[in-house]
Amino acid sequence: MRSSPVIELRQVHKTYRLGQHVVPALRGVDLRVMPGELLALTGPSGSGKSTILNLCGLIDSADSGEVLLMGKLVDARQEKAATLMRRDALGFVFQSFNLVPVMTVYENVDYPLFLAGLEAVQRAERVQQALVAVGLHDHAHHRPDALSGGQRQRVAIARALVKRPKLVIADEPTASLDSKTAEQVLDLMRECAHEAGAAFVIATHDERLTRRCDRIVNLLDGRIEMSKLEHELEAAV
Amino acid sequence: MNANLKWLKFAWLNTLRNRRRSLVTLSIAALGTCSILLAGGFALSTYKALAESSARSAGHLIVGTVASFEKDEDVPLQNGLDNAAELTRQLLMDKHVRHVLPKVEFSGLISNGDKSTVMVAVGVDPDAEFAVKGPFLTMKAGEVLLSGQEGGVMLGEALATSLKAKPGSSLTLLSATTEGALNAVDVVVKGVFSTGVIDIDKRLVYTDVVTAQKLLVSQRVSSLGVYLDRMEATDAAQARIAAFLPNLSVKTWLQQAQFYQGVKGLYDRIFGALGVIIAVIVLFVVTNAMAMAIIERTREIGTLRAMGTLPSQLLRSLSFEGMLLGGGGAIVGALLAMSVSVCLTLIDVQMPPPPGRSQGYPLNITVDAGMYGFALLAITLLAMLASLWVARKAVHQPVVEALAHV
Repeated sequence: MRSSPVIELRQVHKTYRLGQHVVPALRGVDLRVMPGELLALTGPSGSGKSTILNLCGLIDSADSGEVLLMGKLVDARQEKAATLMRRDALGFVFQSFNLVPVMTVYENVDYPLFLAGLEAVQRAERVQQALVAVGLHDHAHHRPDALSGGQRQRVAIARALVKRPKLVIADEPTASLDSKTAEQVLDLMRECAHEAGAAFVIATHDERLTRRCDRIVNLLDGRIEMSKLEHELEAAV
Repeated sequence: MNANLKWLKFAWLNTLRNRRRSLVTLSIAALGTCSILLAGGFALSTYKALAESSARSAGHLIVGTVASFEKDEDVPLQNGLDNAAELTRQLLMDKHVRHVLPKVEFSGLISNGDKSTVMVAVGVDPDAEFAVKGPFLTMKAGEVLLSGQEGGVMLGEALATSLKAKPGSSLTLLSATTEGALNAVDVVVKGVFSTGVIDIDKRLVYTDVVTAQKLLVSQRVSSLGVYLDRMEATDAAQARIAAFLPNLSVKTWLQQAQFYQGVKGLYDRIFGALGVIIAVIVLFVVTNAMAMAIIERTREIGTLRAMGTLPSQLLRSLSFEGMLLGGGGAIVGALLAMSVSVCLTLIDVQMPPPPGRSQGYPLNITVDAGMYGFALLAITLLAMLASLWVARKAVHQPVVEALAHV
């Protein structure tokens, strides 16, 4: 049986207004991301990578076209509905980690579960599992400023994955990391994608990362210029 | 952990981010609250003293004829009460009534033989009158009048000075009788007192009821002062007494206390305006502190929103931050105000005499639970409202914009 995409963009157009100028960011993009897939979005600055991330992350809305999350049409302009969908189905990994500095590692990872309204016992179990998975269970009571960049990004990944999302949006997750740490983070994301079935949409310039993704979508001037490995993936599903 | 407690903990951690700024905000809230409570406590203390003074001076209730409260008299005791003894007996049957004191009010001349001057005189039942007056009458020389000593007077300090009178001096009181004729009685000065009000001390003479009635050639009294066991019983007692004395008028001390009402009206406005100014200052300080905190955390707010935090949840947390700053400051301020008030009960700090008065008074600050509760609640709510005001825009900012904030 053919599985349905986690997120799907259909003929999506998006423009931004910069003063008097209207800048087209996306010009009719079609994209489908399947469960467990690691999709790398590449392309030069201004090609539309971040815009696709924002649309897939339901934090921005398209001017035209459709965005479907798990087969359901979504509109990010419906603020409350979009927020609840993000809470329940999406995880985010940011380039600069965006951990909450006043919270401990444990509290940062616990936060999405608290938002989802899980019981404390259940949360504690899941947080522990997530921290073990990223190898930071010994740092649970540290504040983010006591961690290295790699450790912080692992916390961010644990925070994104702890609620078992269907889709993880990652913006340059390895940009701030050295090669060795970047490799570790990549391994972790691959593992999570393939084991937990979470799809990853990753905007990146990092070749170390793109080499290890299931698919690379290269953008140019708001259009998909090339989609490597796509036919192999479709054949697989 | 309860969700509110979790948000409260988050708010607490956020207030500790910039400790210096939080400390300054909290200190200003504390000073503002302390100022409001000290000013309010001073006003309450003044009201209480004036209320007690008024009630002790005239009685908690004043019983007289309807005309005595509404019309000027052509001759003394024209509107007086005829059956004072019987009325006193009836009034004393009420369980809250402790004393019923007659008063005969008249004016005329007082003379030492060489010099005559205008007087305002009151004939009283000396033993009970001066017992209930308590500390509101200061004896400067001699002794207070005693019941059964007819022909004795007490003079205000300035009047005694004017007449060169001292205890033992003989003087003459002159007044029109109830028939309009002129009458005089010889009296002996028993004591010299001060009310603390210079203008009153220049004119006031106390004598006993019998001497006053003898001078005015009447058995009437001007009014009966009814003294109750406690101030709070006043309104209920007025209703009861008015019901069984339908032909007479029964006024409360408050209805007759024009000075008290004047001072209270003035202080309410002055201290009310002061309170509003302080509240506005606290509001602006908290608003400013929260605005800075929120601008600094715009990106973090964007992150939390991206993760699925509802604007209402962020507003709750940010209002808790305001509550901690404002409420914490208010509690510190209340403790400070309470400490100052307690210190003032231990250390005698005298205020200078007010205009028109000859005596200062001790500075007392009342600690009133209702006022403290109101001030704490008001400052805390104001701080929460200030936080909500500045946070409402930030939490509704598009997530993309918030995440791009540098």
